Amino acid sequence: MNMEEATGQPSVGVRAPGAMDSIAAPAGSRRRSGSIIWWIVFITGFLYFFVPLLGTFAFSMRAQPAFSAYSVVVDDPQFAATLIYSFVVGIITIVVATVLIVPTAYWVRLRLPRLRPFIEFITLLPFVIPPIILVFGLLRSYSGPPLPLAGSDFGSNVLLVAAYVVLSLPYMYRAVDTGLRSIDVRSLTEASQSLGAGWVTILWQVIFPNVRVAILSGAFLTLAIVVGEFTIATFLARPAFGPYINLIGGNKAYEPAAVSLISFGLTWIAMGGIAMLGRGSRQRVQVAGAR
Amino acid sequence: MTAAAPAQRRFSWAWLGVVPFVVFTIAFLILPTAYLFIGSVQGTGGQLTLQNYAHLSEPNIADAYAASIEISLVTAIGGGLFGFLLAYAVISGGLPSILRSALMTFSGVASNFAGVPLALAFTFTLGASGLLTPLLIALGLKVNIYSKTALELAYMYFQFPLMVLIIAPAIDGLRKDWREAAENMGATSLQYWRHIGLPILFPSLLGSIILLFGNAFGAQATAYQLSGGTINIVTIQITRQLRGDVNRDPGIGYAMAIGMVIVMAISIAAYSVLQRRAERWLR
Amino acid sequence: MTGIRQLSRPFGALTIVALALAACTGGGGGSGGTTATLPGVQQSLIDAAKGEGNLTTIALPHSWCNYGEMLTGFTSKFGIKVNELNPDGGSKDEVEAIKANKGNKGPAAPDVIDVGLSFGPDAKGQGLLQPYKVAGWSSIPDSAKDADGSWYGDYYGVLSFEVNTDKVKNVPQDWSDLLKPEYKNQVALAGDPTASNQAISGVWAAGIANGGSLDDAAPGLAFFKKLNDAGNFVPIIAKTANVASGDSPIRIAWTYNALADKDSLKGNPKIEVVVPKSGRFGGMYVQAISAFAPHPNAAKLWMEWLYSDDGQNLWLKGYCNPIRYDDLVKRGVVDKAAQAKLPDTTGVQLPTLEQITKATDVIGKGWTTTVNVTVK
Repeated sequence: MNMEEATGQPSVGVRAPGAMDSIAAPAGSRRRSGSIIWWIVFITGFLYFFVPLLGTFAFSMRAQPAFSAYSVVVDDPQFAATLIYSFVVGIITIVVATVLIVPTAYWVRLRLPRLRPFIEFITLLPFVIPPIILVFGLLRSYSGPPLPLAGSDFGSNVLLVAAYVVLSLPYMYRAVDTGLRSIDVRSLTEASQSLGAGWVTILWQVIFPNVRVAILSGAFLTLAIVVGEFTIATFLARPAFGPYINLIGGNKAYEPAAVSLISFGLTWIAMGGIAMLGRGSRQRVQVAGAR
Repeated sequence: MTAAAPAQRRFSWAWLGVVPFVVFTIAFLILPTAYLFIGSVQGTGGQLTLQNYAHLSEPNIADAYAASIEISLVTAIGGGLFGFLLAYAVISGGLPSILRSALMTFSGVASNFAGVPLALAFTFTLGASGLLTPLLIALGLKVNIYSKTALELAYMYFQFPLMVLIIAPAIDGLRKDWREAAENMGATSLQYWRHIGLPILFPSLLGSIILLFGNAFGAQATAYQLSGGTINIVTIQITRQLRGDVNRDPGIGYAMAIGMVIVMAISIAAYSVLQRRAERWLR
Repeated sequence: MTGIRQLSRPFGALTIVALALAACTGGGGGSGGTTATLPGVQQSLIDAAKGEGNLTTIALPHSWCNYGEMLTGFTSKFGIKVNELNPDGGSKDEVEAIKANKGNKGPAAPDVIDVGLSFGPDAKGQGLLQPYKVAGWSSIPDSAKDADGSWYGDYYGVLSFEVNTDKVKNVPQDWSDLLKPEYKNQVALAGDPTASNQAISGVWAAGIANGGSLDDAAPGLAFFKKLNDAGNFVPIIAKTANVASGDSPIRIAWTYNALADKDSLKGNPKIEVVVPKSGRFGGMYVQAISAFAPHPNAAKLWMEWLYSDDGQNLWLKGYCNPIRYDDLVKRGVVDKAAQAKLPDTTGVQLPTLEQITKATDVIGKGWTTTVNVTVK
């Protein structure tokens, strides 16, 4: 199986940059009119997403004086403290989940395709296990010997990260699997092996960079879950953002609306940061046949 | 690659590759939730019984499963469709590239915008004093935000972004040159999609849709808040049994949760069959 | 991945915030140098509790019966830090949390619980509680406590209408008023009647005003069916935001929750709290200490705090009727300002345990079928 067949490139030979573009010029006009449809799609999506947020904002502004719902929230030192705690836990969760899932998805795709339905079933389990069952189960299992994690602050933090990795499994696995699907894992592996690379090198220098977009998608989803999560954090007595929001929500009307918008905004900015960091490593990517 | 002895060794290494994952999920997913299964076969006195599972066939509970599955399917397919279009729009639709990063990051946050904040946002938009309500009334449209359809509309808020994020790598993987080659050979857009685009994307689309299905199937807080518990879906029934101020029989709750696990297992089985057939095209 | 760079930024910010927090809270906790005392309480208990240094509570929203001030008061008086679990939780969560943490001495194990009346005996039966009799034990009515001291009533509230008077011009005064056509799409419960104590009580109380009684809750279901058929019922779990936004400007809730909302909204919008003329229904909650409490002495001291005159007055300030109210009035130590703010609740009926069990069953099972609110 030669490289070209493996990667699906049309066997027209090495193409000069721009060579295809000139031939494809007449199709350019077709593409331009196509993009109107895409603009309509995008604007529909934009309206659908933003109008409810606008509604929430309008409601939060009913507080007297204007913006007081926001200042009450932002002035509270607990706001920043719990938000930072959740962000840090989120980053750690993303790293652990990535390290756990990318090699697994890779192995299953490469060597153990028959195992795939079982792995996929396990990764979808977190959807149907109520979080309260998970946290009580973790407390029951890790309260005593051999691993009394629940007894200490550090141990509880470990349990929290572990629980969040579990919650992120469906998203991380699906994202990485989709990403692996769009590259030719087999050929990349064989090429690297023929160049003398060991498994760790293959994973770290070949596979990881090529599923970067997928990992980023999974990372975004995981961060959002961690920052917004409430049940597990509160029952593990962790100073996280979810329990904090819940506490100040209480009997207030406008502050919860303000908080949900603020956390929406801040989490979005954090993801922008992650996206930029991710884009930074674009340079070192291209292995033959990838993109 | 085909010599017997090295193949043997490589094969055992392959199993080793999934050991960390298996150990982790056993330690932090299977083990903690084992008591879910144990609880489901216990009666109120602690004795072993299958009575809890017998309750699952009651019309009230069977209806709940039907409603849950229906809502999940509708939002998975509907969400999948529009999410796919949205993702394609920003990736290959000729829109400015900044919109792509904006949409991807936004989708990250929006995918988790569920529960009480989402329910409230919807009432602030379409409720009695909602932002859009005067407009809708002027147009003569009456929206009942406490209906199943409204709930599905609310669910889309996190289904669309989830689809966008999950399908993005697959759309990225659709080589521009394939499209150009097809157009060179005189294919229309429709033909490109029918013979090249969709078949290639199909396994990923399928995988994303099952993810969206699971996501909606397990959702509870949004529905609970928006309907006050009046919409009959499984997750709300489970919440009733396991939480709250009323003394109930948790065994039924556990059995219902196991019922959900079984539904997921069946879905995976169906999906795997479809998946294998789809991939056979590509080989 | 640029892991180190990713972490150093939030870490730096975290350090700054931690320092700021330490500066702010440095004054409050941990000092305990002056002898803090409570009448009738042994100094040895106070010292032992301070030695434990921590207390873990569960399901205590700060705006519920003024628990916010109760908690901060406890910490500033004795220097004991409080871990608060799941402020939004229901009674079931609290009992389950004790069960899940049987072997755990860490911060996730609750020391004390505040649950609906029916959960007291239930938890005792499962061996989850340890008995303790506070200093003022004798002034707690016998009907409101367990003879062995495993659980004891703490406060009660009465069901009321929380009305957003910016949206509702003609404030309803009684249950039958709610059926009037002017209240279309306006009336909601504060919870799910198959799971929430507050909501079940709402249905029950409506029934009592319409031919039912403490022994017969079924008329409540009939009332809500009428309410729903008339189009007046809004099938949501109404939160403060829903009252304020006008989606459910009439909410059926405990007086203390309604009045706390009125305070926190500060007239934006204006809230009026009405205790209905008929069908005055009270609901009592009980306190208990977990048998597996990691901080048993702190737990006992917390109970002494709650049942001290100061503690009872704090609950009164939160618009709850504290269980030792009559004793406080008799001895003239009741907080007069708080007492004046309590609404008139003469004629309120409080159900017994058996009545609660029966009514919960009737309403829980009947709600989804009789009232037929299940939206299609």
